[in-house]
Amino acid sequence: MPLSRRSAVGVTTLAVVALAWVLLTGVSGLVSPGRFPTPADTWAAGIQAMMRGYGDATLVVHVLQSLKLVALGFLASIAVGVPLGLLMGWSKTAEAVLNPVFMLLRPIPPLAWIPLAILWLGLGDGAKILVIFFAAFVPSVINTQVGVKTIERPVIEAARMLGTPRWRFVREVLVPGASPMIFTGLRLSLQASWTTLVAAELVGALAGLGHMLNLAQQDLYPGMILVGMVCVAIFGALTTALLGAVERRALAWKRTRGGAA
Amino acid sequence: MSSIRFDAVGKSFGGGVLTLQDINLDVADKEFVAIVGPSGCGKTTCLRMAAGFDFPTSGRVLVGNSEVTKPGPDRAVVFQQFALFPWKTVTENIELGLRNKSVARDERKARVADAVAMIGLGGYENSYPHQLSGGMQQRVAIARAYVLDPQVLLMDEPFGALDAQTRVVMQEELVRLARLNPRTVLFITHGVEEAVYLADRVAIMTRRPGRIKEIVDVKSVRIAERWDSHSRIEDVMDLESFVHLRTHIWKSLREEKAGADH
Repeated sequence: MPLSRRSAVGVTTLAVVALAWVLLTGVSGLVSPGRFPTPADTWAAGIQAMMRGYGDATLVVHVLQSLKLVALGFLASIAVGVPLGLLMGWSKTAEAVLNPVFMLLRPIPPLAWIPLAILWLGLGDGAKILVIFFAAFVPSVINTQVGVKTIERPVIEAARMLGTPRWRFVREVLVPGASPMIFTGLRLSLQASWTTLVAAELVGALAGLGHMLNLAQQDLYPGMILVGMVCVAIFGALTTALLGAVERRALAWKRTRGGAA
Repeated sequence: MSSIRFDAVGKSFGGGVLTLQDINLDVADKEFVAIVGPSGCGKTTCLRMAAGFDFPTSGRVLVGNSEVTKPGPDRAVVFQQFALFPWKTVTENIELGLRNKSVARDERKARVADAVAMIGLGGYENSYPHQLSGGMQQRVAIARAYVLDPQVLLMDEPFGALDAQTRVVMQEELVRLARLNPRTVLFITHGVEEAVYLADRVAIMTRRPGRIKEIVDVKSVRIAERWDSHSRIEDVMDLESFVHLRTHIWKSLREEKAGADH
């Protein structure tokens, strides 16, 4: 399907959803505003959050706080996860040593780290970043590890035959060779970061979208709940799009003109 | 001086299955030797041992006068599957070995340009491998090996993955390069005609466990019968002397294949 037609279909879908929202909540009153806010309620809540603030901070502050936590947790998970994945993918010894630990940690839901994280780092940002890190870290490691293993053996042998020194080998062979899978991991990591953020901010936060959502629930304020949810959706999508742009640049060699990939 | 010497080489893999037995083969400096043999006879393993990817279980593999202990740019390998770096352009692929040898930038550029011209890929310097045909990719792989000016070239069925027409062009090309700029070459193939056309000598291997059954001298016939006065491969392949050598090797190989059926 051509791009213009696809985006036309997408816009239509969103328009239908918006129309259904208007009809169900505002016009027909089939859904009571106490359960799901009308568009007008949501708009008012959004304006309030932006202008006067909600929960001791304006919407911008909440958003920036959440973006900061996601960015730091996500970047920390890449900084640790990708090198660890490279090591586990490359070295059978490293894999043998680290895999059992990893297998043990992997099934623990990220949110189960919250109590320990608070015990270690208190109620500040540190604990929340740590929880996001734990969630985002796993897909980074696993996909990077798989990515290294997908590099064809002759390609690695060619690099050795050409006398490639160790760090250049890592930089110019291992990392680019694994990069399609690394980016798959990063996309999952980013998604995990946003998922975990809201839960992490439910506990002892002073700002942030999760904090806002929690407060709105206590205040029985559906309009504000929806504002928080929409913000998570928008900024989640924006950061995903940003990562996608980085990925397209980094993997330009895969899909340049005339390519089969 | 850069000869290759297989000195009583034996090789068995993990399970103890004997792959190669008592391989003795000398490739002289600037000599082009092809190894032919039935599939699974271990001919590729011979090349991998000269490259430093595999090591003999018994005996020694020497390049120059020293035993092979690891891969290196003095022994450039051309792989059957091309093994280009998909994320590097043609230029970057050819250039990597020179960068690893810390060749200065200007000299590097000049040598890469020469190599690109040699393989006739001018205009494709900034293309990625997947944008090129199989034949073009293999030419890049050959340029990547030649640009290092290696003492030894190891080619593992380099034309095996190409279609028939491209293969012929590449064979003519390789003969041109080999005559222009002779190197010590070990060339693995299962194509008898290819071996006779390209090589100075052809080593025939037995089926597993592989041994050298016979070594056929092609060079003396080629010179005596003036093969090089014909530029086209099909003209050489029509010559009686060529057909005679080919049939001889063919029969010798055929005995091995027949043996394998029992």
